[in-house]
Amino acid sequence: MCSKTAIPLFIVLSAFFISCINNKGVRLDELTVPAKNSFAHAERFTVHKKDSCTIVTIIDPWQGAEKVRQVYYLVERGKNAPQNAEASQIIYVPVRKIICMSSTHLAMVSALGEHRAISGISGTNYIFDDVLRSRADSGQIVEVGYDSEINDEVILKTDPDLIMMYGIGLESAGYVGKISELGVKIMFNADYLETDPLGKAEWIKVFGALFCKENLADSIFQAEVISYNSIKSSIEEGKFSRPSVLLGLPFRDTWFVSPGNSYISTIISDAGGKYLWGEYESSTSMPFSLEAVYMNSLNADYWLNAGNATSLADIAALEPRLTRLPCYTSGRIYNNTKRTSPGGGNDYWESGSLNPHIILKDIASILHPGLFREHELYYYKKLN
Amino acid sequence: METAQGIKLQRRSGTKVRLIFVMFVFLLAFFFVLDLFLGSVNIKPADVISSFFGNAGSDIRTIIMQFRLPKAVTSVFVGMALSLSGLQMQAIFRNPLAGPYVLGVSSGASLGVAIVILGFSGSVVTAGIGGFGNWILVVSAWVGAGMVMMLIMFISSRLSDIMTILILGIMLASGLSAIVTIMQYFSSESMLKAYVIWTMGSLGNLSSGQLKVLVISVSAGVLLSILTIKRLNAFLLGENYAGSMGMNVKSSRTIIFACTSILAGSVTAFCGPIGFIGIAVPHLVRNIFRTSDHAILVPGSILAGGIVMTVSDIISQLPGSERLLPINSVTSLIGIPVVIWIILRKRNNTAMF
Repeated sequence: MCSKTAIPLFIVLSAFFISCINNKGVRLDELTVPAKNSFAHAERFTVHKKDSCTIVTIIDPWQGAEKVRQVYYLVERGKNAPQNAEASQIIYVPVRKIICMSSTHLAMVSALGEHRAISGISGTNYIFDDVLRSRADSGQIVEVGYDSEINDEVILKTDPDLIMMYGIGLESAGYVGKISELGVKIMFNADYLETDPLGKAEWIKVFGALFCKENLADSIFQAEVISYNSIKSSIEEGKFSRPSVLLGLPFRDTWFVSPGNSYISTIISDAGGKYLWGEYESSTSMPFSLEAVYMNSLNADYWLNAGNATSLADIAALEPRLTRLPCYTSGRIYNNTKRTSPGGGNDYWESGSLNPHIILKDIASILHPGLFREHELYYYKKLN
Repeated sequence: METAQGIKLQRRSGTKVRLIFVMFVFLLAFFFVLDLFLGSVNIKPADVISSFFGNAGSDIRTIIMQFRLPKAVTSVFVGMALSLSGLQMQAIFRNPLAGPYVLGVSSGASLGVAIVILGFSGSVVTAGIGGFGNWILVVSAWVGAGMVMMLIMFISSRLSDIMTILILGIMLASGLSAIVTIMQYFSSESMLKAYVIWTMGSLGNLSSGQLKVLVISVSAGVLLSILTIKRLNAFLLGENYAGSMGMNVKSSRTIIFACTSILAGSVTAFCGPIGFIGIAVPHLVRNIFRTSDHAILVPGSILAGGIVMTVSDIISQLPGSERLLPINSVTSLIGIPVVIWIILRKRNNTAMF
């Protein structure tokens, strides 16, 4: 009898101990990755306060990264950094000089009124914003190069408080390895991996923390959430059929099809459209044969984001067979190239990341012509 | 002579040769038709047939007539052109490793394309892929290949030693590749992707006008090759021997170089540098016919090249799936085991040269 009760008791006790250990493990995780608050959309970063510093954690900062966590301790100038932090993790805030490696970062810094802090940019030719472009022309913003061509000497001379890095893959870390070794702080920005449009916009909170303007960043983001959701719900209220949408352009006879779990397909869906490859989930674009894409695209009502095509003739010259598509013959092709600078910069990639509600409204008014009659297309234009 | 003995000992009988040719023709026809039936989009065989008589739905007709038929025709002509020019280069240089690109034709074409895709600033570049059409790549590849071809022919008309020309050709190719590498190094990701995709080759991107140009130029090259069969045989015996037989070595060489450049140059211009076929198919044909007589090898390579290329195209389409494999990888991956098997099975490959 005794042994018979002892065995279940033992099992219960061990289960209890194991659960305790597990609980502890979970709690440790939560320290670095806190539970998402109810209004959070971003999946690639968290920001939370601990003692006197702000902890920013970047989650899986590049394509294909798994369980990579980059933790930064944002410490106010003059205060002491936490003991356990390594030097490369400590960023003294507010940041006074920042180098931005992607155009999406520019709009967020500018929105916080900190455009004077931008001291270097990757691709100064492609800036759309007038203010920033004139600062680049006058030499107040320097060109720092990109990828393997990052100009270490220029960066060291600029002496930035932080480089906001953008990297497609792990190798990007190698490009900045040398400058990181020399003490320049580098933060990876993974906004381009966010699939929720509001999640991408939420990255302004990271900049808010860096410039000690958390409240301003929060209110900008909240305003964005409200406008995005109100447009979205007004579309949901209307009872429309969902027009189907084709995206992109082929490379020779291969069409790299954007997957259904992407940023743009979320906006199309929110705008009351149906992306033709909406059911395909992938972290990268998928190489499909032109034949297969053509066949599926016969059902497309609209064709959006047609690469760098600026006219119907561009598409006809690239691939004459595509002119047979119904969305081509009916002229329902729109591209996000309305706001481009002479140097080739496109505002869609610059301010668009912070203004998904405008992109949403653009696409919604394209797909449902009767819906927002007063709205004039902002990023998009019809190809003629 | 050792080579002469080799020819006599291994030669197949005339009936057998004829039988193999009949089989080659049959296989080419079979795979050409199969290439029309198989593709990413599943189409019923009955619909494929009726689309030729205008009875199928317009969408299926478009797929067959506008996508699959031009691609199948391209495959056949590309296969023919590459294996033929590979055969010619192997004969002239008496070197089993020679191929259509040994003179630097593909490197010249690559440089031309690299200048268009990688050389300009970003906005123009993406327009190169998405804007001013695909003729720009064709023309630039052709100009690049043509310049290299003229240079080699100029050198060839002044130098008598064939090995010097081979070395110069390889040096030229390496030099041009180095320039392309520098351009790749200084280009952005999107440009690099566009260029890398070009180097992977593609058969299905030709407009009907381009297909006409390809067919005409490859046919001209094939015709010229048939006219030079005797000269190729003479080259196999060595240039001195050929000269003593009364052949003008330098002018023959120039004609054959021109022929190869037309064949390999136009293929590279339209479809990118498609590798392997040009080196492998001539070996395959030599081993099947067991001869080094170009009167048999030339038509044999034309047919076998077409067969191998259509098979590669079918595989690259991954029938039934929407996805694609790059054609260049397919030609290598299916061809390499075949060639290794043949070469190991038959030890005296040198006897063929």
